[in-house]
Amino acid sequence: MSHLITADLAVRFTPQARIIAAILAVAFMAMILELIRQHKLQERYSVIWFIAGIGMLVGAAFPGILELLARVMGVRDVGIALFSIVLLVLLALALSFSVIISRQAEQITRLAQEDAIQRARVDAEADALRRDDEIGSNGDAAEGALEPEEERLEG
Amino acid sequence: MKTLVFIPALNEEASIAGVIADVRAHLPQADLLVVDDGSTDQTTRNARSLGVPVALLPFNQGVGAAHQTGFLYALRGGYEICGQLDGDGQHPAAELARLVSEVEKGRADIVVGSRFHDPGVDGSEFRSTFSRRIGQRVFRRMVNASTRQSFTDTTSGMRALNRRAMTLFSERYSPEFAEVESLQRAIRQGLKIEELQVQMLPRTGGESFLTPMRSLYYIFKTMIVLLVGHLRPKNPETH
Repeated sequence: MSHLITADLAVRFTPQARIIAAILAVAFMAMILELIRQHKLQERYSVIWFIAGIGMLVGAAFPGILELLARVMGVRDVGIALFSIVLLVLLALALSFSVIISRQAEQITRLAQEDAIQRARVDAEADALRRDDEIGSNGDAAEGALEPEEERLEG
Repeated sequence: MKTLVFIPALNEEASIAGVIADVRAHLPQADLLVVDDGSTDQTTRNARSLGVPVALLPFNQGVGAAHQTGFLYALRGGYEICGQLDGDGQHPAAELARLVSEVEKGRADIVVGSRFHDPGVDGSEFRSTFSRRIGQRVFRRMVNASTRQSFTDTTSGMRALNRRAMTLFSERYSPEFAEVESLQRAIRQGLKIEELQVQMLPRTGGESFLTPMRSLYYIFKTMIVLLVGHLRPKNPETH
């Protein structure tokens, strides 16, 4: 049984495939570094991608680990085990993005609210000042300032 | 008591002036605030021209975010009571004045205006869409099961609150359609809520934002929220 799996592995992961996987992993991590350098990716969100890249590299260097994982998972086909793991990791990443988006949406909402409250305060202070002016100038106020009072009487 | 009445509004240029005049007539002691949830029309300009301060959200954030803006403004301004009514003219200020006076008397932390509270009032003049009626029934069942209190109008946006309720809602409040879950949360946090039968009117302008598809989304989302809300721990010691 075990020599069967080994034979299977040899078929699936030829040296050529392993070299390509390793090159891709290195290129992937180089791309992440470049994104950070260009300030397009924040360091705190890059960690998870480096872990993914290192995982790829390890898988390419030691395909025996994949075999072990497949056996632990109870999956006979190492290829299916690999795809399952990758799929689960991507699912977890997508979910973590949803969490991050939710947190940022909350922060944006609060920022918008703070801004709106500040503007309303400015409005309220301007209105209070205008009213003081009306009283101070003994009813000789500008037409614009009188408007709200007139509206109030209509209501 | 120092009272703020705030009016959440989204594209209500046609009705906002009438609502402001109505509030000034029936709640002359109260300060006014319009919370404009990113309108693309003249809502803000119309309100400002009447000397009403406007909290203008720079982009549309959802009804709940607009309500929360009102609560935050009231808290920071030191208001003891705040009342809220919709900017579309469906909520008569005379009715809100009754809710405010109930809170002033300390009858409850929150008093909600209900269209269907008294038996015999069928509220049939509120021609709702099918999905909306279903939604209202589902929400009522769920909120009542969760709070063990019988609410009749869980989606009402005509309410009066004291500082305790404002504080709770300013901390956390659903940014979207928030009325339903806010009832559940307030009750579970030990607040006292009462309903009062009120008259509401047909819309005087603008357009309801609840299309059938949105209603379905709203129902589904609110069901999830109520379920999660029920699983959260109660906090009666804050009473």
